[in-house]
Amino acid sequence: MRMKSSNQRGRQTIVFLVTLGLSFFIGGYPVMSFAQESGGVVVFSKLIKGDVPGTDPMSAVWDTVPAVEFPMSAQVHWDPRIFTVTVRSVQVKSVHNGKQMAVLLIYKDPTNNPGDGAALEFMVGDKKAHFAHGQTMVQVEGGPVNIWYWKNADQSVNDMTAKGFGTLTSQPQQDVKGKGSWENGEWRVVFSRSLTNNDPQDAQFPVGVFQNIAFAVWDGSNNEKGAQKAVTSWWYFRPEPHADPMIYLYTGAVVLLVGLVELVVVRKLRRKDRAA
Amino acid sequence: MEAKIETSQAKRRRIPVPAQVVIVWIGVYLFLKFVIKPPLPSSLILMYMTMTSVGLGIYVSIYEDTLQGFMGPIVDFLRGDPLRARPWRAARWAVLVLVPFMAGISTYQKLTPSAAPPIDQRVIHPAPPREFAQLYSPIPHTPENIMAGKGLFIAYCSPCHGIKLDGKGPQYKGFDPPPANFVDVGTIAQLQESYLFWRISTGGVGLPVEGQPWKSAMPRWETRIAPENIWKIIMFEYEGSGHVPRTWE
Repeated sequence: MRMKSSNQRGRQTIVFLVTLGLSFFIGGYPVMSFAQESGGVVVFSKLIKGDVPGTDPMSAVWDTVPAVEFPMSAQVHWDPRIFTVTVRSVQVKSVHNGKQMAVLLIYKDPTNNPGDGAALEFMVGDKKAHFAHGQTMVQVEGGPVNIWYWKNADQSVNDMTAKGFGTLTSQPQQDVKGKGSWENGEWRVVFSRSLTNNDPQDAQFPVGVFQNIAFAVWDGSNNEKGAQKAVTSWWYFRPEPHADPMIYLYTGAVVLLVGLVELVVVRKLRRKDRAA
Repeated sequence: MEAKIETSQAKRRRIPVPAQVVIVWIGVYLFLKFVIKPPLPSSLILMYMTMTSVGLGIYVSIYEDTLQGFMGPIVDFLRGDPLRARPWRAARWAVLVLVPFMAGISTYQKLTPSAAPPIDQRVIHPAPPREFAQLYSPIPHTPENIMAGKGLFIAYCSPCHGIKLDGKGPQYKGFDPPPANFVDVGTIAQLQESYLFWRISTGGVGLPVEGQPWKSAMPRWETRIAPENIWKIIMFEYEGSGHVPRTWE
């Protein structure tokens, strides 16, 4: 009685195709969302083993990290404004090792000028700060910003604080290192610091938490200085959290459990079939 | 006799019950997800799909023969059949292996902390402060004033909002939220003149907390442009975009 009619075969083929389709339909969602994880609004700081290339913008480590690109605008927000800037977008990469973090900016600039510079900006504390130097907001009490300012002239990085226009000052405790390297019309500038520290004037970067980040670039050969620079408003920065080994354990357990259930069901069906 | 044969042929051509269930389920989902406008919230879709599943469960289990028709092919498929063609058997194994792995991927993603940025719940047109709510332009609507407004707009506003008033000026790209597109029916066409006067005068920093003022690149123009000139700019923005200010109906 093993022979089946063509009707049954056709029916089984349809069932098979529908089941297959359904499996991909349901399974496709997580796979697709996996691929869409890295958008253009977040700098994901990748967790690496070993030292972070905190003062080496040319390190091979950077080749292993994807870049996120952010468009830049001339600073037309407050006086003195500027309407044409050289740098119109910046590529950003970041790594951390659980203790130290590093952020690399890569951007096109045809000239290597002593007036060239670049900066990162972060919010400090729980209060929201305006991206323009934490300027005063009318209806919202804002917080300060932490600015890391690299200057090509002396290859220094200044760890700074601001809360409103005209308040930008160098911090007494300098925690940021960095270096710029210019080659073939391209700057690569690296900034580095510990993820967290005890300086109340500094931004903190606990792993897995989203922090706001903004960028600024000055082209000295275009007379860009002070407020006259290329800027972005706030985007996001997030150090990748440590993988929890329990996640792999649970995932493996689920795979085994579902497989086991399948096995039991199939065996039971076959036994029933044999008995019949 | 003939009628009997026709009935059995019709029965043979019927779509198998599991396929019916899947087609209806996916059909309802696609309808709710893509056809209904404005889009339904996912919680509502989940509720409707639960009701659809319950309904299909009742349909399948209400008669013995539909239950058999539903379970039979699934049971056949799971049990396998050594006499079937090799591709069919291979595909059965593929499905049996795929299902636990899909469950694994799904579990992994549920347990991994989310890498999606915080949801941006910014209110685009929050309520203006009381003192700005009922202002009217004191500037006469004349060609000269519109021209003056155009000159001021080009000097101060066009770098971001664009000469075409479409929000795509030369500097628009670096800012999030992007500069407003005045040609769009969803911006100044929906707003009163007094609202624009408030937004231009106090800029991004004048927004209440739900407008997320810390992100806005809109300058606080009251520090630089006289009120009568702000009214002229507003006049040009409506004239240039072809919209009219909203009034109290």
